[in-house]
Amino acid sequence: MNKDSLKALTNAHAWVGLVISTILFIIFFAGSISLFRDDINAWELNPHFAVNEQSETLILDSVINTVAKDYNINTHGYFILSMPTAEQPLANLYFEEKISADEHVDQHLILAPNGKVIGKGNGSSWGDFLYELHYDLHIPEVGLYFVGIVCLFFFVALLSGVVIHWRKIISKFFQYRKDGKKDKLLDAHNLIGVMGLPFHIMYAFSGLVFNLLIIYQISYAVVLYGGDQSKLLTAAGVVDVHLDETKIVLPVQGLDNLYLTAKASLGEVSINRVSIDHFGDESAAVTFRGADESQFSTRKEATYHIASGRELYLTKDNFDNDLRGGLSVISSLHFGDFAGYLIRVLFFTLGIGTCYIILTGNLMWIQKKVNLRVEKQNLIGLKVVYAMTTGGFIGTIFASAVGFVFARVIPIEAIGRSDLISYLFFGCLFTAIVVSLNIKAQKQFAAIFLKITAVILAITPILDWLFVSQGIMAMLKLGYYHVIVVEVMLLSLALFCWLIASRLFVNKRTEADEQITETINISVQEQTPLST
Amino acid sequence: MWSRTFAGLIIGLLLSVSIVLNLNLLLPIKEDTMLLIGLLLAFPIWAGIQVWGYSFTSAKKAWLKLSLVLIPSVLINAVLLSLR
Repeated sequence: MNKDSLKALTNAHAWVGLVISTILFIIFFAGSISLFRDDINAWELNPHFAVNEQSETLILDSVINTVAKDYNINTHGYFILSMPTAEQPLANLYFEEKISADEHVDQHLILAPNGKVIGKGNGSSWGDFLYELHYDLHIPEVGLYFVGIVCLFFFVALLSGVVIHWRKIISKFFQYRKDGKKDKLLDAHNLIGVMGLPFHIMYAFSGLVFNLLIIYQISYAVVLYGGDQSKLLTAAGVVDVHLDETKIVLPVQGLDNLYLTAKASLGEVSINRVSIDHFGDESAAVTFRGADESQFSTRKEATYHIASGRELYLTKDNFDNDLRGGLSVISSLHFGDFAGYLIRVLFFTLGIGTCYIILTGNLMWIQKKVNLRVEKQNLIGLKVVYAMTTGGFIGTIFASAVGFVFARVIPIEAIGRSDLISYLFFGCLFTAIVVSLNIKAQKQFAAIFLKITAVILAITPILDWLFVSQGIMAMLKLGYYHVIVVEVMLLSLALFCWLIASRLFVNKRTEADEQITETINISVQEQTPLST
Repeated sequence: MWSRTFAGLIIGLLLSVSIVLNLNLLLPIKEDTMLLIGLLLAFPIWAGIQVWGYSFTSAKKAWLKLSLVLIPSVLINAVLLSLR
């Protein structure tokens, strides 16, 4: 590649990285934490509903009878039972309750291992909030595609980074010049980028598949299948086992027998999800879904007509379709759900490492612009980038830390609990950005803000033991360690924040920082007469 | 920079769709496997084309060179679809 092309690509790499940096940071930070989503949900909920027993199997018919007696379940809505597992003693039941002809409400019940309803979980979804933040930023309708576009540009930044760094990728593989200000940032950026390259490429690619698959779906349907989407879906392994509604009311019974039949038919499987279609109608069907944990990424599923017990569908290998199998592999890689905690800890470390790459990228850009002559500087741009870096990046960690604190201290039965925590999260993030925009000594602000964030992160484990120690102890006695996992994660993040504050944003007025403040001050003074 | 971005974004998308469609129409592989191969290739092609677009020193060059690759691929699409 010639010199001009390399220079153009280097500029583009910096520009693309800068444009997507704040959103990418949020995606990666929330995504890294979401690797422990089930643990976070259990951390939030389980200590409040501590159980003193373990049960191998849930009596499904008993659960259905109890719930059908107490609630008017919407026949046309969803009905999903998340089964207790070796890692999670409580079952979660999600369904739509019919209030009137047009009005339905979402219900989430918590079930003990014996099937007894022990509480409602509607207000506890902090783990799910973080996960949704990761994949659509809580932007309705278009958030998923927006995150997909950011993923695409992340992929572009990765590939362009590889091309730029290619000639030095082997010779400077372990280079880390800790004494030079710019060199240190660049070396950290390159070192983590190269070391984690397969991980980064996997995440950029799988993120694109999850969020922008629709583009290729449409183009394939239009060109190859003459606009017939159903033909494409059939080729893609989407199986339609839907039975037409008969409007004959029939109670749901016999699920335990069907569960045993499914277990026998599916072979090695741990069924983790039971869903019912057309609940309460004669046409109702039940689907048992699970994974074969003895094999990598193998999903199994069986569907039965409840009234007759007739088998409607059965697959022992990812819907017997290569595309579904491939998507299942991509999904397992993305969520790190194939090798226990070890792989998730590794992915978490690499994810937080990516956050550090994004941070160093922005800091290098700031450093480069500050070193330009005053008349060449775009001061508004410089200020915005600095504010997005301190306010946006640290603000995201701070808002998450606050979210964890409130997820622990707000009573689990409080009405509007989830909404309150989400408002607090966005309020903290927005405030952090606004404050950053109005602060001149950004480096000192960043150092203090990071240390405050570290302290808040470290407070949550203390609050856990102050508020729900009995529940935690009960769960620990049964061998469930979700609270400890989350506490270790939070303390690791606190340590990471404290180290960054102490090492990268040194809490004293450095020469470079004075230069930035001075530059901004001079230019503001120069620009004031023009604006008046 | 914006113009080169749009060149890579738009032509990259069209080219990725076009190339995987050509593969789909040419290779005698079963349907679901072909869909998977298309999926695995499409996004890297899109991102790769964007990177290529950024390597040009001007937006005009980027639009021109990328279009020169797109046109033959689309023509092959048209021929293969008409022969189907």
